[in-house]
Amino acid sequence: MMTQRFHAICWSLLAVFAAALAGCVEAESEPPKFRLNMTQVTANQLVPAHQQAIADILDAMFGTPDKPFALPETGLDLRKLKMAAGPVWSDQAGGKHGLYRRHCAHCHGISGAGDGPTAMIVNPYPRDYRPGVYKFKSTFNPNEPTDEDLHHTLMDGVPGTAMPAFSVLPPDEVAALLEYVKYLSMRGQMESLLVEFIVNNLDYDPVTEKGSPLDLVNDPDQREEVMALLADDVVAKWQAEGQVVVVPDESAIPPNDRNAAELAASVKAGNVLFYGTKANCVKCHGPTGLGDGQQDDYDIWSKADRQFMLDTDALADSIKTDTASLAELDGEAWDAANAELDAKKRALVERREVAAGLLPPRNAIPRNLRTNMFRGGRRPLDIYRRIHQGIAGTPMPAGGPAVPGAQGTLTEQEMWQIVDYIRSLPFEPASQPQERPLNSEAVVY
Amino acid sequence: MSVVSSPLYVLISGGACLAGTMPSSICTKRWSGSLAGVVALGALMVAGCGPRADFGPVANAKAASEIRATFGASAAAGDAAGGAAASTGTGWGTIRGRFTYDGTAPTMPPYNVNKDQATCAPGGKTPPQEWLIVDSGTGGIKNVAVYLREASRVHDSAKPSGDNLLYDQKVCVFLTHVCAVTVGQSLDIRNSDNVGHNTNIAGKKNTFNQTIPAGATIAYKVQKEEATPAPVNCSIHPWMVGYLLPRENAYYAVSAADGSFEIANLPAGEKLDIQVWHESAAGPGGALVVTTPEAKTLGWTNKGRLTITLQPDEVKEIQVTVPASAFKG
Repeated sequence: MMTQRFHAICWSLLAVFAAALAGCVEAESEPPKFRLNMTQVTANQLVPAHQQAIADILDAMFGTPDKPFALPETGLDLRKLKMAAGPVWSDQAGGKHGLYRRHCAHCHGISGAGDGPTAMIVNPYPRDYRPGVYKFKSTFNPNEPTDEDLHHTLMDGVPGTAMPAFSVLPPDEVAALLEYVKYLSMRGQMESLLVEFIVNNLDYDPVTEKGSPLDLVNDPDQREEVMALLADDVVAKWQAEGQVVVVPDESAIPPNDRNAAELAASVKAGNVLFYGTKANCVKCHGPTGLGDGQQDDYDIWSKADRQFMLDTDALADSIKTDTASLAELDGEAWDAANAELDAKKRALVERREVAAGLLPPRNAIPRNLRTNMFRGGRRPLDIYRRIHQGIAGTPMPAGGPAVPGAQGTLTEQEMWQIVDYIRSLPFEPASQPQERPLNSEAVVY
Repeated sequence: MSVVSSPLYVLISGGACLAGTMPSSICTKRWSGSLAGVVALGALMVAGCGPRADFGPVANAKAASEIRATFGASAAAGDAAGGAAASTGTGWGTIRGRFTYDGTAPTMPPYNVNKDQATCAPGGKTPPQEWLIVDSGTGGIKNVAVYLREASRVHDSAKPSGDNLLYDQKVCVFLTHVCAVTVGQSLDIRNSDNVGHNTNIAGKKNTFNQTIPAGATIAYKVQKEEATPAPVNCSIHPWMVGYLLPRENAYYAVSAADGSFEIANLPAGEKLDIQVWHESAAGPGGALVVTTPEAKTLGWTNKGRLTITLQPDEVKEIQVTVPASAFKG
């Protein structure tokens, strides 16, 4: 009896909630749109007209999620972009369309901001493509990755993360996705440059929300400057000439036919470097190599969001202070201070709305080196590159020179010794399953 | 995660009861669980309607297609319509002045030193933070960066320097908290501590992150000019913070402990667009925005910029009293 009545209550409650839910859902879903990076726009206090201008210029340069576009000077292959863009469907011949939304958008988001619906529940968060910074690549730290680097990540996935391998897709589909990822990065980089362009060159006032126009149609000078930004500060970085690849010094690469004693000596030297103050690996990867050292720093993606949140809190505090000091003023001084306070309050509302859409910042946790799982690949060359150039966007610093010919911290030989030590760590007895202590019982959680 | 997963679990178990897929005896036992599940479902729905996130504007298709139509238009048309070149003057002038703090100076808390205590907080003495240093005697504000945004011509004394600039760190503090450097000038990044550091320069145009062993000096050349100082951190000691301002010429100054600064040999007879920046300033990107009447006479903008025209051999004095509200928090 009890159960039946209970069911009735539940069903009626469910009906009420379903009705409530219907209120949230739009009758017809619109095609997805590219969105601006609102932390960037809000932190720089851009006025609405400038925000709109950025959205329009990006649309003119790159099109929409359903209808991509690429200016010839970008070097992007529009045919590939069209294969990757748009809604998911298959043609009668079995050709797949909407590949990005089929395979990527649920994590990386429509704009490539790493903010897809599943982003919240994966750790690490999906990459935000917009800054064009990629962790696992063959180039020098500040350089963009090569096509080959992105291809490697697409084919192998990123071990230990939610990023799967797409090696089962036909090569033309992988190529289309690769092109689309580059396209989203270029678009995101152009967006940042447009924000910088406005901050540096245009007048605007967040209080009156007025600003001098960003109008590429009627101002050929502005158009020329913006096109120069696209060519010099975006496109050039993605072309082979702009990308400097780290090439190991042949003479320092350890030969494949080393005997056990030689390998052991190299591992030992790597161990000394790992714990020494020169390479300093121990500080972050910890005395055990489990990644239990320095854990309270952030990568650039989380750092940007975190800074935005901290500044928002600081603004809230300053509103409190200003409100308190308002009481001591009168006349014109009061008017001026009050107007400033009103502007701050409006800015706070905007900031909080933007912050509501951000993922909670997470600390950058140093890799546990004992699992034999290396996110950028476990070939000696992969680990060498991580040590040589650090990992872009993360706290991991470089041991090699910052640009070719500059002064490095470690020699080539030292870097290979650390590679040998890192590769030996997962096979040390300490990394293997331990014997269960006598008389211990299974732990039940 | 736990916030999401626990109602989710209850929701699933509750849902199974509702759908009649579980024996009713279990469901009766889960009376309260199921009810909680329904409530949680409701809460999630309300949350879905909840705090509005601002995702910004979307492109206007018509405006975009108009812009796209202009791409590829000949640049010559632009030149014809272009404005007159900015007039350039002759001779050189100097600006100097002082920033003073209007209000009670904040006390700097100690850095949050949570490792390497012996080196970073010797004898238990932790160095104070530096985000707003006000001289207790004069009220001068330290570490305000003042620099010329664009130079039509550059005096020999402000040309990029060939000298190496020492960028030292000791007691886990960057000794030059705000450091200006010319592009191409070699920065000698030194670690005077007995623990390892890494120096992570995260600029918009320059990025550098290299291990600096104890006692070592690593040379680094900045590649490009930055519009605002780039943050410098040490990932090993994340409390360490500094700022590096790479500029194409040496028309810059960082205010001293008494708040004073001087930029000599600026181009005279033409409009100078000068940026004022402080790490804790409330303006966009750290722009120091001063809205006092005296600042208005200097044409101080809401982006922390002022326009000044100097006569040849003029030395212009600028005294700026900065209200506490110009800073964050």
